[in-house]
Amino acid sequence: MIKIAAFVLAAALPAPALGAIGCTLTNPAQDLKYLYPELSSYKEELKEIRGLEGGADLFAALKERLGGDLDPIYETLETPYTVYSVFKGKEKIGVVHGVNVPGKGGVIQVFLSTDPKTAGIRRFFFQRLESPEAKALRDKAFRAQFEGLTLADFYKHDYYAAAEPGAAADKVGRLRLGEGPDHGAALRGLRKNLILLDFFVYGRRFEPFFERAKAAKAKGGKP
Amino acid sequence: MSAYTLSRYASLAVKNLRRRAIRTALTVAGVGLAVMVAVSLAGFMLGYRGAIDRSIDMLGFQVMIMAKGCPYEAATMMLKGGTGLLYLPSDTYEKVKRDSDVDSITPVFVGVAQKEGSGIRDDAQEAAFTVISGVEPSSFLVMKPWLKMNEGPGYAGGRWFAPGTTDEIVLGFEAAEYEQRKVGDAFYASIQPAGKPDSVRHEFKVVGVLDRTGTQDDGTVFMPIDAARKAFNRPNQLTILGIKLKAFDSFKLREFENRWLKLPEVQVVGLQQVKNTLVGLVGTAQTMIAAVAVIAVLVALLGVVNAVLMSVYERTGEIGIMKALGARRGDIFELIWLETLFVCFAGAVAGSAAAVVGSGLVEAAIRGLADLGVSGSIVRITPSVVGGAVGASVLLGFFAGLYPAWRASSMRPVESIREGASS
Repeated sequence: MIKIAAFVLAAALPAPALGAIGCTLTNPAQDLKYLYPELSSYKEELKEIRGLEGGADLFAALKERLGGDLDPIYETLETPYTVYSVFKGKEKIGVVHGVNVPGKGGVIQVFLSTDPKTAGIRRFFFQRLESPEAKALRDKAFRAQFEGLTLADFYKHDYYAAAEPGAAADKVGRLRLGEGPDHGAALRGLRKNLILLDFFVYGRRFEPFFERAKAAKAKGGKP
Repeated sequence: MSAYTLSRYASLAVKNLRRRAIRTALTVAGVGLAVMVAVSLAGFMLGYRGAIDRSIDMLGFQVMIMAKGCPYEAATMMLKGGTGLLYLPSDTYEKVKRDSDVDSITPVFVGVAQKEGSGIRDDAQEAAFTVISGVEPSSFLVMKPWLKMNEGPGYAGGRWFAPGTTDEIVLGFEAAEYEQRKVGDAFYASIQPAGKPDSVRHEFKVVGVLDRTGTQDDGTVFMPIDAARKAFNRPNQLTILGIKLKAFDSFKLREFENRWLKLPEVQVVGLQQVKNTLVGLVGTAQTMIAAVAVIAVLVALLGVVNAVLMSVYERTGEIGIMKALGARRGDIFELIWLETLFVCFAGAVAGSAAAVVGSGLVEAAIRGLADLGVSGSIVRITPSVVGGAVGASVLLGFFAGLYPAWRASSMRPVESIREGASS
């Protein structure tokens, strides 16, 4: 009896917990193979905003581009980000990246796989998502709406919202977005993910669209 | 022998050892390796016992009362996701509470809830479970006064549940880290009420995150015991009674056990017994490793004897000349003996140093091989362990050096010189 009790206590004692607040794939090899069945190899790179040239300015730029405060725990200057580059032979066929965003029920892990040539979304998915809205957010049709969009489309949306509300060219404006705090958090995570990918991988190629939206907002005084 | 003579012998012994540097280094390495294993093992024995003591003491209870069969069910559930725990009738709490030997008592209700799994696949999400402990903070904190709210970033303003609430939870530090929750976040869990076919999804609010304690509490989700019992549809049941006795000794514990074992549905477990059993669980493995360490030490000693004997035979002529020049048997004996002691001493110091430096690696390796179920350091190499190892090595060297020293001191000068010249 005592042996069994001891065994129970031993089993009850905790295993080491994860300490890092970065966002990585739980099982990169399997997960990337699932996303890209044709994958032959992949590369993992750890990125930090503070490690980039002008890190503090970039951090402020991230805040500005997201349009609100950053979370003091999950969105700091020191937060590590993992970028997965996927290869078929020597050809780079994908870039996968995830971010943490605070949701109502703890952190939501928002991942994107993107086309390395266009920087467009190939697939939008969640790893960790505990929410009453989870079913709607994980719905394939909901997520499929985002395929092909780039960060430019989100900046254009900001521009149209300020300068030409309801413009037919506003792709993001046409999306059927759900209601609820975690839908908002997920969308914020998707945008943050694209902005960071632009910083880390795509050489800030979409900055002109941001500047244009910023100028329109300043001129029109709209959000 | 004067200090001056001893220092001359020591200097001569060191010179002799340095003349065959590689052989000496290999012999020292052999002794060092054996000592390293022995010191690491002793450090593990010491550290593991200490870790068990700390872990059990930090449970806060001296005695637990639980349902018969409960440990087996609990182990099954925790390891294999079994169907459930066995529960005590809640009036056991009222009965035991009145026992005159009880200093303090706290009821705990344990249940398992299902959580949304995480994963990127559209086709399947891995199921996740979390253990929920229903507690009564007023009595629970008497047992564990060290439980404090963490006030770090994201955790500020934490508190225990408000009286009568059913939707508030407190997370242990590691549970909060793992679940990535802050104070104020929602926590979703699906609970299957007893006797009902379908799970009910609950939304709780995280009202506090505890400081790290290094115990099982770090990984626990706490909620008010009445709310937990209601959610699991076991309003008149509980899982464990944690008890502190006014006077805790084996006699009092036996009396207490006998009194309450009369109840048909309960078992009484003293944590001292649990502690001994946990030590015993790894005792067999430790004995086997100790046997290997002893064999390693013996092999190393044979290596020392062999190396020194070879050295003696190679220096037959030299020893003969020393004797011819007036060295006495005792002088030769002491010289060879000192060489042996130096080899053992150097090996012991090197092995102990390696064990101290590598203790982190040993700990990681042991934890990698087996989940010992304790937190905190399990390898603790103290100065007394090192001192003991060095002392024991020198003592063994003392005996190992006897034969080669006797052999060298027994050589006849003329024969030795002739033999040395011909070899």
